[in-house]
Amino acid sequence: MKLRFDDSVEAFRAELLDWLAANRPTPAEMAAQPSVSTGHAPAWARRWTRAMFDAGWLVPGWPPELGGRNAGPIETLVYLEELAKAKVPRTTNVQGLGIVAPSIIDYGTPEQVRDYAMPLLHGEATACLGMSEPGAGSDLAALRTRAVLDGNEWVIDGQKVWTSGANYADFCFLFCRTDADAPKHKGISIVIVPMDTPGITVRPLPEIVHPEHPDLNEVFFDGVRVPQANLVGKLNDGWAMANGSLAHERGMVWVSAVMGLEESLAALLDEAPGLLDRLGPTERALAVDQIVQVAIDTQAARCLGYRGFAKLARGGSAPEQALMKLYASEARQRVALVAAEVQGADALAIGSVQPDGHLAVDEPQGTWLEQYLHSFANTISAGTSEIQRNIIAERVLGLPRG
Amino acid sequence: MDFEYSDDQLELRAAARSVLTSACPPSVVRSVVEGGEAKELWPTLVGLDWPALGLPEAHGGLGLGFLEVGIIVEELGRVVAPSPFLATVTQFVPVVRESPVGVALLEQVAAGRVTGSLALAEGGRWEPEAVQFSAERVGDHWVLRGRKSHVLDARSADELVVVARGAGGLGAFLVPGAAAEASRPAVLDPTLPVATVAFDGVEVGDDRVLFAPGDTRFPAVLRGAIEEATVALALSTVATCRAIFEATLQYAKDREQFGRPIGAFQAVKHRLAECYLAVERADSLATFAALTIAEDDDRRAVATAMAKAAAGECQRLLVRDGLQLHGGIGFTWEHDLHFHLKRAITGDLLFGNAATQRARLAGLLGLEAMA
Repeated sequence: MKLRFDDSVEAFRAELLDWLAANRPTPAEMAAQPSVSTGHAPAWARRWTRAMFDAGWLVPGWPPELGGRNAGPIETLVYLEELAKAKVPRTTNVQGLGIVAPSIIDYGTPEQVRDYAMPLLHGEATACLGMSEPGAGSDLAALRTRAVLDGNEWVIDGQKVWTSGANYADFCFLFCRTDADAPKHKGISIVIVPMDTPGITVRPLPEIVHPEHPDLNEVFFDGVRVPQANLVGKLNDGWAMANGSLAHERGMVWVSAVMGLEESLAALLDEAPGLLDRLGPTERALAVDQIVQVAIDTQAARCLGYRGFAKLARGGSAPEQALMKLYASEARQRVALVAAEVQGADALAIGSVQPDGHLAVDEPQGTWLEQYLHSFANTISAGTSEIQRNIIAERVLGLPRG
Repeated sequence: MDFEYSDDQLELRAAARSVLTSACPPSVVRSVVEGGEAKELWPTLVGLDWPALGLPEAHGGLGLGFLEVGIIVEELGRVVAPSPFLATVTQFVPVVRESPVGVALLEQVAAGRVTGSLALAEGGRWEPEAVQFSAERVGDHWVLRGRKSHVLDARSADELVVVARGAGGLGAFLVPGAAAEASRPAVLDPTLPVATVAFDGVEVGDDRVLFAPGDTRFPAVLRGAIEEATVALALSTVATCRAIFEATLQYAKDREQFGRPIGAFQAVKHRLAECYLAVERADSLATFAALTIAEDDDRRAVATAMAKAAAGECQRLLVRDGLQLHGGIGFTWEHDLHFHLKRAITGDLLFGNAATQRARLAGLLGLEAMA
């Protein structure tokens, strides 16, 4: 146990920083062509993805032919931290790079890797993840969108909802029911569906803050036909792959969550002296205590993340990982709420923000109250906080299923 | 940052846990809680060189660091061990080892022949600024006058480090425990016995002056010592809370009502998930603080206050839910749970509870009002 990294890790960091300085997209470039959805990759984002792929910085832990450099987990951690510090998004298509591409590489055919995963890694395409449905949120395995084989084509009917980026994505990584008679976890498969296939209707769902830049969508499938070869992995094995996909999602997501939290706290500590000076002594003391508590929360999030990571990096299991999503998202919510409460009625003004809120859901955006409301995206999506508590209780603590 | 213990450290923990399972079972704790003594425990720990662990090899120690000391502190806290380890190793030694006069004692501490404690607090405040206890130079010696509160092991320690204010500022004196008049209070947790100590004109010769009042090195030494003691209490308290958590989790799996384990009910599950999170949160902050002390990192002051605050917050949740979820059986004297509950509460309250630590953090984070 030690506070500093080894020299080899610092050399990796130095190499990355040099490369970033020479190749990163500029803030002006990003502001001129904002990404307006997680499915949307403006020209600079496409160039940036390709540049990272070519230089082996897109997924450092992968081999060079997949845009990496066979880096170890500690290097990957440093990489994610430095990108966040530099305020460069790793990708605008978070699900595509983080979940869909790794899943296709893990489970797909060589043709699927060539036609769908590689374009994602080359910045030529974006993907969305078709999971939740009106009747299948936390209970994802209850999903009902059907894919029925007709000759050598799948015919898809049903509806997805909360599909991030579907309004711009090139294809959907779609979870659908392929065996209506099997137990619900055993009849789900994954099919790749190009979003320009006839029969697909996308209806954006504007959010409670900044409705002008919707990222979430309802997606309707009405007799949509795709080739049989678009089935990913084994038939009816989608649930097991879903757990694999979510593992991709949860593996290092804590890094950006913690860095977003730290950024929020730093902003709060920056504004705090001015805000606190408006308050009387008792009110000030109450406010200060709230701020201190979220400062402790923030430091704890980093320590928890690092500790779980250190165990994983040594090949052990890390129950901390199961806590991170719950803890970091709720801590983020508390920071924004505390900040808004210290602001008092001044918190009511609404800001105009660049529509780059979808670069990373962890990037602080807008006023404190807007951030507070937006923070529910993280306590609801990818398994609500309540589901996270069930997961911790059942899978980590071994309590019986209810 | 590499935030996992080394294989050697993990082995030390496993060995300590195994020793304490047989040397400090609940029956030993109960005997102390019910007014007796744990006469055999300390000699056993001395036989394992635990008091020597963090001391320099030149003074009979094993030359290990604060992380290893912390591991022992945690294991002792886990079983609510009644022992002089915490006061001697994490409160007495951090001042003594920094003084040329005190260094001479270390060999005896390492050998387990001398135990000690730190008489710092007054009126339940551990901040150096709160010290009013006086040291007055009279002829060729010093005369100590005043009252010290919440002195751990005050009635049993061989030697006390007494922090006093003289004309030139703060200093520290070595006083035999027998020379002090310790109260005999009934305290909630007899495994961490604290007492008030009164000194009414105790004379101390120059050979027992650790730091003369006004010694410019002393403020930093004292600050460092308070941090070590505070982090040790955080580690101990969190380990006690983890034991409460594990007992409660097991109880939720074993106890059946309405035909199923109570742990199958979501109301219970979610409470246990929150308890687990609170323990992990506090544990990771305490470990980080221990690491900043082991490496004497600039962040140690903030890390210490955060660790102790989180340990206190953890205690509040674990004592409440641990007792609540055990139901009636945890409320009885004959069940062992209350040893842990009382130890956790005591650990929070010594050296500044969670609220005190947060107030300290307000200053460290620049949030205090301008005067």
